[in-house]
Amino acid sequence: MTEPAPVPPAQPPVVEQMGARLHPLTPFVKGWGYFVVAAFALVNNEGLRSNLEVAGIGLAGVLVGGILLGALSWWFTKWQLTEDAIRVDSGFLFRRTRIIRFDRIQAIDVAQPFVARLFGMAELRMDVAGGGKSDGKLSYFKYAEAGQLRTILLVRAKGEQVAQQQDQEQQNEAPPLLVVPTNRLLGATLLSSTVLGSAGALIWLIVATMVLDFHIGLFAGLPLLLGVVQPIWKQVVGNHGFTLSQTDHGLRTKRGLFDVQRQTIPPGRVQGLLITEPLIWRLLGWSRVELDIAGVAGGQEDGESGNEGAQLLPVGERGEVAAVLARVLPGFNLDAIDLQRAPERAKWLRPIGWRYLAYGADEQVFVTTAGWISRRTSIVLHHKTQSVRLAQGPIQRRLNLANVHIDTPQGPTNAVALHRSAEEAAWLTQAQAHQARQARQAIESTRPDQS
Amino acid sequence: MDDLFAPSDVSWTPVSPQLASVRRVSAAITAGVFGIAALLALGMTLGWLYGVLGLVVIAAVFVWSWVLIGRNQRSWKYAEREDELMVSHGILFRELVVVPYGRMQFVDVAAGPLERAFGIATVELHTATPATDAKIPGLHPDEAARLRDRLSALGQAQAWGL
Repeated sequence: MTEPAPVPPAQPPVVEQMGARLHPLTPFVKGWGYFVVAAFALVNNEGLRSNLEVAGIGLAGVLVGGILLGALSWWFTKWQLTEDAIRVDSGFLFRRTRIIRFDRIQAIDVAQPFVARLFGMAELRMDVAGGGKSDGKLSYFKYAEAGQLRTILLVRAKGEQVAQQQDQEQQNEAPPLLVVPTNRLLGATLLSSTVLGSAGALIWLIVATMVLDFHIGLFAGLPLLLGVVQPIWKQVVGNHGFTLSQTDHGLRTKRGLFDVQRQTIPPGRVQGLLITEPLIWRLLGWSRVELDIAGVAGGQEDGESGNEGAQLLPVGERGEVAAVLARVLPGFNLDAIDLQRAPERAKWLRPIGWRYLAYGADEQVFVTTAGWISRRTSIVLHHKTQSVRLAQGPIQRRLNLANVHIDTPQGPTNAVALHRSAEEAAWLTQAQAHQARQARQAIESTRPDQS
Repeated sequence: MDDLFAPSDVSWTPVSPQLASVRRVSAAITAGVFGIAALLALGMTLGWLYGVLGLVVIAAVFVWSWVLIGRNQRSWKYAEREDELMVSHGILFRELVVVPYGRMQFVDVAAGPLERAFGIATVELHTATPATDAKIPGLHPDEAARLRDRLSALGQAQAWGL
């Protein structure tokens, strides 16, 4: 399978012959962060602070250079709608043309990051199956323009009816199933291992510097401070008012304080789930639920890794987690699954963690658990299985152990039945391959229209 | 061989011994370069006795890799089941991959200059996840082409949605 061939030049584009440019303020909105960083760096620099003239010139240089680069990139970025695709040309040194076919677009969202909102601008995020995160982004437009374009694209991609339906949906939101309270978000973040670890190290550093007169330099504190502040910011601001609601097209999440993110989770596109329970959360009965979804492009914060999938529940109590799981996988009950522990000889490879290695399966899903500090429960659907792998290293061979990997499309889940006895693993590999085939056939016979 | 990594209920096809030849030639090139480098470097600095000693050590490593390459080549095998492709390989780190044809996204056939000289090619089957490691090296070009066509035909016929 290759990318769809570029539209031949003979075919006249429908809307724009030459291609249109994005909003002229785009470079500023995209690049404001760099200016702030540059200004901060210049002001903070001891040598430059004493010499304001140089600092001013430096800042001006960065500013002008940045604006120039931004303007160039803006000038050379053009988009146009063709017969069956949206085409984006960009880059002034390395020209790049991206063609996104309408029929490949899974969903289109209009998003407004914080700074863009100040200027009344918005970006268009297109979910493209198999595409990366930044692949389907087009920023920025005037807010109204983005809305119009979204409607046009929706009509082309899915037909008139769907477009109207989705428009209505955007306006009247379904009643929320679940809202995560901010104080729980804050509490959960403060009790997460990253924050606790960083805070502990920071306190030690401060005590060491102040009391023991032990000068390591407070520069070491900066990354630690970041380790405390960044997760809090990300969780509390990014997931502020996390709301889950049910629509006709699946579950819908809404979150964010400044930058409101919306994401729809169509039920058929869930590949797997990951439940994470850090050590302290476990005592409080909290856990986090993340999803693997085919083709998640938009709906994620900038700078997050593409591997992160979709959040279904940033932090929830046991009852909520069970309810959410039941929504995504009807008829599924995690507690009903009989988990098989790894054999005791696995302790040679995992001295403590071996007790927590387990796998289980029912006719719908395959479940694995691992980890004693942070327990991770991966749940993957049989009929989404891409391949099954049986692997064994030299030490495992001596112990007569083997791993079974159930590969699903990229995402946070990692379903590996670690350190099983070799015979069981070999059997499991065949059984899972068989199970995947059966599950797929069952799905196909109930939904003949879906391929 | 135990049959955990190669269930005996399917017929396994071995890969061409030419795979071992290709790897031995490239190992020989590497060993030759390192051997001469060691001979010259050690010979000029510590004396020619050490240079020759270095050469001997590298020659020994090469002989050992010669044996390992042979064993590794014999470990590669694949089987075409009704619905799945199975690839099994490795001696120290062993792996068996089971990929349903319907999961196939695309198939690559690749052959480097050395591989072409020895008349072999590599077929790689890609699914929607990079974790799938379904690569079959050391196929005769005709077999590679046949496998490619068969895999794409089967992939099309049994295509499973994401």
